[in-house]
Amino acid sequence: MLAFMGRSIIQKVVTLFFVSVISFLIIHLAPGEPSQIDPLNPKFTPEMVERMRTEFNLDKPLHVQYMLFYKNLFTGRIVSWRDNQPVLGKIWERFLNSLPLFVVGTILTWTFSFPVGIRSAIMRDGVYDKSATFLAYLLISIPGFFFAYILIILVVTELHVPVIGMETFGVTSASPLVRIMDRTWHLVLPSILGATGGVAVLSRYVRSQMLEIIGQDYVRTAWAKGLSSETVYYKHALRNALLPFVTMFGMILPGLIGGSVIIESIFSWPGMGRMAYEAILGRDYPVILTLNFITAALVLAGTLISDLLYMVVDPRIKL
Amino acid sequence: MTVRRFLIIAPAIVSLVLIISYFWVPTFEEQTRGNPDRLVQFITTSSGDAAMLNPILSADSASSQINGLVFEGLIDRDENLQFRGRVAHSWKIYEHAFFYINENAATARWGRLDPSGLVSHLRTALDPRTAEWQHVKAVDLLPPEDITHTFSTQEGGEIRTVVLRAKAPQRVRIVLDRVDPMLFERLIKILGDDYYNTFDPAVDVTAEPDLPSAQLKAKARALMPPTAHNPVIEFYLRPGVKFHDGHGLTAEDVKFTYEAIVDPKNLSPRIPDYEPVKQVLVVDPLTVRIVYKRLYSPAFTTWGMGILPAHLLNDRVLAEEATERGQKPDDFNMRQSRFSRHPIGCGPFVFQEWKSDQHVRLKRFDAYWEGPPNYQEYAMRIIPDSLTQEMEFYAGTVDDYSVLPHQVARLKKDGRFQSFSGTAFGYTYIGYNMRREPFDDIRVRRALGMAIDTQKIIDYVLYGQGEKITGPFVKQTDFYNRNIAPLPYDPQGAVALLGKAGWQLGGDGYLQKNGKRLAFTLITNNGNALRKAILAIAQDAWKQIGIQVETDLLEWSVFIQKRVNQLDFDALILGWSMGIDPDLYQIWHSSQGGPFQLNFVGFSDPDADDLILKIRQTYDHERQVDYCHRLHEIIFAEQPYTFLYISRWTALLDRRIVRAVTGADGRNVYKPIVPTKTGGYTFHFNQWIKLNRPPEFSADG
Repeated sequence: MLAFMGRSIIQKVVTLFFVSVISFLIIHLAPGEPSQIDPLNPKFTPEMVERMRTEFNLDKPLHVQYMLFYKNLFTGRIVSWRDNQPVLGKIWERFLNSLPLFVVGTILTWTFSFPVGIRSAIMRDGVYDKSATFLAYLLISIPGFFFAYILIILVVTELHVPVIGMETFGVTSASPLVRIMDRTWHLVLPSILGATGGVAVLSRYVRSQMLEIIGQDYVRTAWAKGLSSETVYYKHALRNALLPFVTMFGMILPGLIGGSVIIESIFSWPGMGRMAYEAILGRDYPVILTLNFITAALVLAGTLISDLLYMVVDPRIKL
Repeated sequence: MTVRRFLIIAPAIVSLVLIISYFWVPTFEEQTRGNPDRLVQFITTSSGDAAMLNPILSADSASSQINGLVFEGLIDRDENLQFRGRVAHSWKIYEHAFFYINENAATARWGRLDPSGLVSHLRTALDPRTAEWQHVKAVDLLPPEDITHTFSTQEGGEIRTVVLRAKAPQRVRIVLDRVDPMLFERLIKILGDDYYNTFDPAVDVTAEPDLPSAQLKAKARALMPPTAHNPVIEFYLRPGVKFHDGHGLTAEDVKFTYEAIVDPKNLSPRIPDYEPVKQVLVVDPLTVRIVYKRLYSPAFTTWGMGILPAHLLNDRVLAEEATERGQKPDDFNMRQSRFSRHPIGCGPFVFQEWKSDQHVRLKRFDAYWEGPPNYQEYAMRIIPDSLTQEMEFYAGTVDDYSVLPHQVARLKKDGRFQSFSGTAFGYTYIGYNMRREPFDDIRVRRALGMAIDTQKIIDYVLYGQGEKITGPFVKQTDFYNRNIAPLPYDPQGAVALLGKAGWQLGGDGYLQKNGKRLAFTLITNNGNALRKAILAIAQDAWKQIGIQVETDLLEWSVFIQKRVNQLDFDALILGWSMGIDPDLYQIWHSSQGGPFQLNFVGFSDPDADDLILKIRQTYDHERQVDYCHRLHEIIFAEQPYTFLYISRWTALLDRRIVRAVTGADGRNVYKPIVPTKTGGYTFHFNQWIKLNRPPEFSADG
């Protein structure tokens, strides 16, 4: 176990190093350079560009830039080129904003997918299963922004309540309970939107996984023993069907930092996705690279966690 | 059983909690009509967040909007675009003119004279009682001086520092009470044709290490030009103007703001505006004198720059902040300072709170010198999506909305809102690379313009929200020459004109000359739907008269860096956003036609060059207008661009918002909001207030 972990961590650190090199190279190969000045401003002189480049270390060879960047990243001194704010502080602030959206979206996805998928599997080819399948494909294919607009227009014109932002603008004086509920309400639409795709896909997985297990010999044995359908489905079948989802659980982790550009923009949510998107448009290398690095680290951590979880839940696997 | 129950109960509880929260949210009704505070709040939206709330550093529109309310400059422009005093109540513009005594030359009127003799003769000749010299205040002789000038040159990758030492001869200073760009030309009839030309500044100049003599000569000439105009602006500050922290604003703050801009450490994008400044002098706490190196009238506008509080940003304070935050004071500059997240200025609104990508809130400044604004609070909400902006506006939680072109016809008629529209300060054009064939022929450029139906572009691409233009000046200003009619849409005429230029229709349906087809590539940047539509329209229009046009859409930075800056294009679609000031030097002067410069079409016309320089050097508005009209004519006649359109914007405002001014009897009088000459409706923003119900105005307003 310990040996496995040690090996795995070393492998992951090496991978992370390559990821950092490659993402650094890709960003610098892409045309266009950052600037806090508009290059088509008629008053703008080449000397100014040069001074900006020097300030951002862009005049140095790539490997020196790479060293400087990661040195600053690990000492926490890296600042955004857009507003000179420390990047880690910015990311932390956005992370806290994105976190509730992510948590509620994930809870919705996981709590809804299982009952829906299991029931579909049990009632295979019935009316319920057919309509669930239809709905799932509908939700997968409907463009997120379109669905979002429809929901917003419906809620705003029918219910007359605000939906955008993290809280209703101007409710600072209200009691803490009102504020918490207000914030919860603002989570509803974006997290439903974030969860729809997830529910649709995950419930399909649950369905097929359950179907596979239901056909297994030990399930037939369970039936033959005369156990109630409750016990057969929810004890014998479900436990075994859950195994692959343990791996998926580990893969949620990178989603923490991803955020959704479209949903965050439509709902004016001050989250990660929007910051990343604006950083890319503005060629704000420090923000892009830091986010990239953190995402890569989380992906690797996620795979490590899934491996470990798998070992815990499935004693057949000896690593 | 438990598992099954859990699987059903868990989603049920989650849904319940989410649904219950609905009953706690304030409805739009509670936020607007049910909230008395809402009447003294102005809430606007911005699609992007502010970047830096420091007027000398910011370069984005959201930041400028907030900076414009928190900070205030010495001057701004009034409803008729004339300058008006803000922090400065008045100003005086005059001039110090200099010329070096030329020992080698004899004057035309008095022959050879010693310097003091020349000065005393000049004093009598330049008699202020005569009409020609009435602006002369004094003539003095300045003693010789030693000038040391250090600069670095780059030779073969090696950087050398050269120190120039010069013994400058005596100099005559003429003090004028207004700027006179023609002074030295008029002095020629007294001093003689060659008095300035034969002045040799290189005599007493030494360089260390030594320079080749041609280079030394050029350097000496740049260091000691025979004549020099030094325009001077003196601003008289309003007494009692205070920053939001109660600290009084003085001339020291003005000087500090200037120094902060030109300090290379701060990397201010406004440095080029202040390059012509020679020095800024504090005469007394309420008088600041700005001396310029040369004639440069656009410089006056730059004093609209918000004034920074020196006591909060000087080196000592910044060093303390750096130490407190554990950084080296040497690497620390104004950009890093937390001032940019929490600004303090002297404008009508005080900064309160900035939540990144959520909102910026301001509160009115009760000690504002012009009296506090009517609104108690100003808020800018960051809403990136235009549909949600619109929904919030209808709901009444936002007070204004910028209408998209396709919505204008519908929303302008809506009785719930008042609408304002005006033309933008920028225009869209097709530019031709005049260094290349066939665009070196003016008939071809003209024909290409005549083949495009601009009116159709305005009607269908812009939904009618645009206006034709004929030249590079802002259409609302006097500088724009309204007597010039736009190019007619005349494809037949275009073919005829191309025929005169030698392009005849060949058997393959394309125009040809010497066996070569009339073919070129039209490019623009990707991501701008309007330009993309124009690209297709122009391609089609030109194809119909027999021109083979390829088109290409390029990513913005590739478009600028690889094509525009390298001058590697045939024709392109692009837009300029202009300031009110008529300075066209960077875009149209022939000296600006190199790679990485903005005259990328390669426009070059000696008369235009002359006018562009004169516009910069004239401080007289009428004369500037005159020059601009002539320049406009020349540029229109040459057609280096096909000028397409300027777009119109429309904004909606809640109809209950009015201006409240205190009338003669001390009572509040309500007036409608009227747009100014540029179409701007926020000019009287400090008088705005929201009423409970829409007001009724008598017919005469």
